[in-house]
Amino acid sequence: MVKSTFISIGLHVFFILVAYYGLPSFKVKEPLEQPIDIVEDTLISSKTVLKLGNPNKEVKKIKKDIVKEDKVKKTPPPPPPLPSKKIIAKKNIELKKKKKLKEMAEIIKKKPKSKIEKNKKVSVPKVKTKPKEIKQKQKKLLARGILKTLTKPQPIINKDKINKSQNNNKNVLNKLKQIVGNTSIRSLKTEAKLTQTEIDKLRNYISKCWETSIGASEVKIIIPLKISANMDGSVNSVEIDDQSRYVKDTFYRATADSARRAVLDCSPLPLPKNKAAQFKSFFFDFDTSFIYRY
Amino acid sequence: MRFILNKNLKSLVLKILILIFPLLINQALAQDLRIKISSGQVEPLPIAIADFTGQEGKANEIGRKISEVISNNLVGSGQFKALESAAFIAPPTSPSVRPNFTDWSPLGVKALITGSVKSINNQQVEVEFRLWDVVAQTDLIGLRLIVDSKAWRRVAHIISDEIFQRLSGDSGYFDTRIVYVAESGPQNKRLKRLAIMDQDGENHQYLTDGSFLVLTPRFSPTTQEITYLAYFKNEPRVYIFNLETGQQELLGSFPGMTFAPRFSPSGDKIIMSLATKGITDIYTMNLNNQKVTRLTNNSSIDTSPSFSPDGKRVIFNSDRGGSQQIYIMDSKGNDVKRISFGKGRYATPVWAPKGDLIAFTKMLKNKFYIGVMSQDGSNERLLAEGYLVEGPTWAPNGRVLMYFKQDAPIDDGKSASVNLYKIDITGFRETRIITPSDGSDPAWSPLLPN
Repeated sequence: MVKSTFISIGLHVFFILVAYYGLPSFKVKEPLEQPIDIVEDTLISSKTVLKLGNPNKEVKKIKKDIVKEDKVKKTPPPPPPLPSKKIIAKKNIELKKKKKLKEMAEIIKKKPKSKIEKNKKVSVPKVKTKPKEIKQKQKKLLARGILKTLTKPQPIINKDKINKSQNNNKNVLNKLKQIVGNTSIRSLKTEAKLTQTEIDKLRNYISKCWETSIGASEVKIIIPLKISANMDGSVNSVEIDDQSRYVKDTFYRATADSARRAVLDCSPLPLPKNKAAQFKSFFFDFDTSFIYRY
Repeated sequence: MRFILNKNLKSLVLKILILIFPLLINQALAQDLRIKISSGQVEPLPIAIADFTGQEGKANEIGRKISEVISNNLVGSGQFKALESAAFIAPPTSPSVRPNFTDWSPLGVKALITGSVKSINNQQVEVEFRLWDVVAQTDLIGLRLIVDSKAWRRVAHIISDEIFQRLSGDSGYFDTRIVYVAESGPQNKRLKRLAIMDQDGENHQYLTDGSFLVLTPRFSPTTQEITYLAYFKNEPRVYIFNLETGQQELLGSFPGMTFAPRFSPSGDKIIMSLATKGITDIYTMNLNNQKVTRLTNNSSIDTSPSFSPDGKRVIFNSDRGGSQQIYIMDSKGNDVKRISFGKGRYATPVWAPKGDLIAFTKMLKNKFYIGVMSQDGSNERLLAEGYLVEGPTWAPNGRVLMYFKQDAPIDDGKSASVNLYKIDITGFRETRIITPSDGSDPAWSPLLPN
């Protein structure tokens, strides 16, 4: 029985941990690293060293803020995150998760309260209910104490424990339901399809930045670039998807470079604010067919 | 009890898995957003060309000249726009030093070229360059050459070719030469000499002394040889001139008139038109055994033949349909089809080295035009016009055309000036090539061997 209890507790802890830390990582992909060039740049350019230094400082500041918020529970909600920094966004997501979990935990505890709310008796505290529970428990314990000597108390205790574990399981399930439900709702919200107007706006914006050469205009190719953009639209990284062709084909290489310049030059991108999460990883497919018209 | 707990546990695990499963599936099936960009700006790319640095006076001077030639080449191609050096914020740096891109990006340039020149001894210099992507903050290509200090101009052309290829994807055409007919003297006593120069008009040289009339020089696509037509005692002869040895070889003396000899892509044949008994047809001559083969047999005038780059087809102009138009046939003279159907007359078709386009001369309403069309005759575009524009020749990369343009004659006994021009196939940038005297009938060489 002790074993099974430990297994039960272990599993509970495991699944709670999965719910806490595991699930969000499925949804939120780690942003791609900046190209090595910038690291090299730091060795030479003092200005870029400063630039690189700034984000770390900001991260530290944010960390301090988070600690303060954790200590002072009753303080008003934290200011909206600085959208330009991916780390800030991460931390805020974590904060939100923690808060949600806390709120969920409170909701679970406040089940009777919700009933009271329904009856429009908000002022009725659950303190009144708790003593009753305690009294009942005390009575039960007293009774058990008596019964222990008379009958085998174990089954009764087990039933309680089973009930408790069932209640706990229900709680865990409820938590999970809420977490999974929330994430799925969140994902549905963020993954809402972009409208044609939003796509056209972005497309036109990039088109204006794409300065390409007439080059081998008889070659009609599509060059996919993998982009990672921050919530504020600033471009985090640009990767040329087909590296093998990039190395072999001179026209592909030159045009892919021009496309990369276009994306970097156009940063920050005009991303729709409520759908910016979709742009953590996406593709621009640069089509050279139009060059043929010249 | 264990059974109850286990059952309870199993159901819990099952429920959790049921809850998590759709989320995992959702994540697995989630596809990245894709947005197609199907338009852009085909405009000259803004670039900065810093003077090549040198350690002492001579190297500095060579460095400055090299960067000037590179700038002229790239801007002249119509695909680049060079920033004035007066606008530079930062001084020129060595190519081995990574530039501070924040000094260049505010100027709006997308690429930066840095270089250096070092004297190795009295004769040789080491020239190094590097091309930087200012936006992506990375280097794109670099090259180091050890050359004779007198060959700095050619080094500049080689570097220009490397930069052009890296930024446009096309092979360059700067390390090439032009052979043409240099003209001088009055209309009634015109002196026509064969001359050669770099594609930018520098290093000019005369190949013949003008004692006999020369016409239609054409470069071999494989060797540094020229074929041309010369009138010796009023008899047309086809010669081959070897530029490396300076030797001339008489290919043959043909009865009647001979026109427009041109090499086949493999360089082992000459294709030309011969006029006999009032009929002009197209012939080929094998340079190995001098065997002549007739390709067309028609009562009309068939002339100006040009092989396709694969050597399997020939384009030419003919008046067999009533007006001068462009026709295509296979290399044996079969399957003749007309491809030009526009208004006016068409002449001197030349197949582009890549095979995608055909350049031609068009005559319409007392005006001449230089144009290009697809190999089936579609997508005709007229690039240049004038009183007389004629004789298009392709740069080896097929992106630039050269031709000659003659002004309207003036009634003062003097000949109207004739000059060479080049234009990129977008048609936006026409540049005159400065020559010591008038020039006509240009022919572009392939890239020079290193």
